[in-house]
Amino acid sequence: MNSPAVILRVTDLCKSFGGVRAVSSVSFDLSDGELLGIIGPNGSGKTTLVNLITGFIKPDAGGIRFRGKDITGWPPYRIVTLGIARTFQMVRPFYQLPAYKNLVVPLYSPRVRRLAGGKYGDRDAVALDLLEEVGFERDAYVSYKVASALPQGYLKRLELAKCMALRPDLLVLDELFSGLSLAEVAGIVPIIEKLRFQGMTIVMIEHRLKELFRIADRVMVLNYGEKIAEGSPETVMESDAVKKAYLGSET
Amino acid sequence: MLLGTLIYGFVNSTILALVAMGFNLTFGISGVANFAYGATYIFSGFLVWILLNSLGVPYFFSVVIAVICAALLGFLIYYVVILRVKGLALSEVMATFGLGLAIMELFRYFDFVGFRYTLPVFFDGSISIGDVYIDYQRLAIALIAMALTLFIYLFTHHTRIGLAFRAIAQDERTALTFGINSDRIGALSMAFGSALAAVAAIVILPLGTIAVEGGYDVLINALAVCIVGGLGSTMGILVASVMIGFAQTFTANYLEPHWMMLVSLIAIAVVLVVKPSGLFSHQKELEERI
Repeated sequence: MNSPAVILRVTDLCKSFGGVRAVSSVSFDLSDGELLGIIGPNGSGKTTLVNLITGFIKPDAGGIRFRGKDITGWPPYRIVTLGIARTFQMVRPFYQLPAYKNLVVPLYSPRVRRLAGGKYGDRDAVALDLLEEVGFERDAYVSYKVASALPQGYLKRLELAKCMALRPDLLVLDELFSGLSLAEVAGIVPIIEKLRFQGMTIVMIEHRLKELFRIADRVMVLNYGEKIAEGSPETVMESDAVKKAYLGSET
Repeated sequence: MLLGTLIYGFVNSTILALVAMGFNLTFGISGVANFAYGATYIFSGFLVWILLNSLGVPYFFSVVIAVICAALLGFLIYYVVILRVKGLALSEVMATFGLGLAIMELFRYFDFVGFRYTLPVFFDGSISIGDVYIDYQRLAIALIAMALTLFIYLFTHHTRIGLAFRAIAQDERTALTFGINSDRIGALSMAFGSALAAVAAIVILPLGTIAVEGGYDVLINALAVCIVGGLGSTMGILVASVMIGFAQTFTANYLEPHWMMLVSLIAIAVVLVVKPSGLFSHQKELEERI
């Protein structure tokens, strides 16, 4: 059996803000098609890690390779073009645009134009299809509403749809489930599983451990910017370092 | 008297809208207040004059070259000056204002002063509406201002670049995750705004002479319209232009012509006290500002 190719390789990544080491010497590999969960207490450097991988901040040291290509320090818009899409923890739609127009923007991106090879057809129709895929009711008024008028549950799904529109190879979801009800999460999980089935590699930052552990292949734990544990959901759950990080310790 | 005031008030409003359009477009998209705007306006006027009178280039080509040069100037200012201080609002203002000063005062230094610096009108002559005479140039200004407003609306709502403009304006970070190069779009918005300044200059300057002082007036008027209307809001620009435009004309006709310039300044002062975000823009919540 040959092991799947490494799609993302992060080596000794470091980033400090002032005197705070937000991410310190984090290394990990991501195989093609894998779903990696990243967990850790608040302020453990999870979102900083996402920002580093997607180019929103530049690392102080260390390297990031995507499909063998060194992308360390690249600007976000170039990284997207290679195939890494992300969501934001706090949803960031274009609030003044209708929901479906939010998807037309990524459909115009250089990446999608290249993948489509010139012929794209009706972008509005593609956008409406995508919205239906993430659970917007077909032909309902909701797809035409401006984003500022949508409830949180829809905005989260819109956030996911925006990434899907980019047809990424690697999808980074920053706390997609936060602020959602159990029922809403249950509605989104099948979409993520479908994306995986289609071969997408996914990194999920999550606080909702129960839901995450059900779908993750592997889990990495961060605390104070350092990787303290890594492995299958079961082993991570049992590790002393994790219990200590989450529950605190007397010593 | 009243009919005349109304007609000239309307024309004055369209002049203000034309002048504010480019400034507002650049700010609305990239968040950069381009204080070199008045200088770009004057630069374009003198450039057309030089091309026409010193180099003998035909009018049509002079105009096209001037608009392109203004756009290039804006593009360059963005990449060479603004990009270095991007995000530091005060530095942006000082850098662009300083550059504008330098450009305008250079024209004065090289003796571009006097009544011979005028641009040709499009058509000579005038018509009468009732007993009010109005020249073709002023009609052309009104028509071109309205056409440009429509053009900008269509451009931003029905083209790829236009959609990228609106995306960047609403959320730069999200736009970045969609592969939009925000610096390039910012530079394009500067180029677009500067080209609009050139168009305004070419259309409006035939009414008088090209003078360095005109650059300062244009900047103040553009600022007044944008502040009253709410920066970045197209609807705000139109409403504010009409309000200030009529107020100026009524002031000139019924009070004193030289009080006209005070109207803009008073409008700025009043709006900043009563509704600092302008009529059609929202004051950001404290949370958003942080």
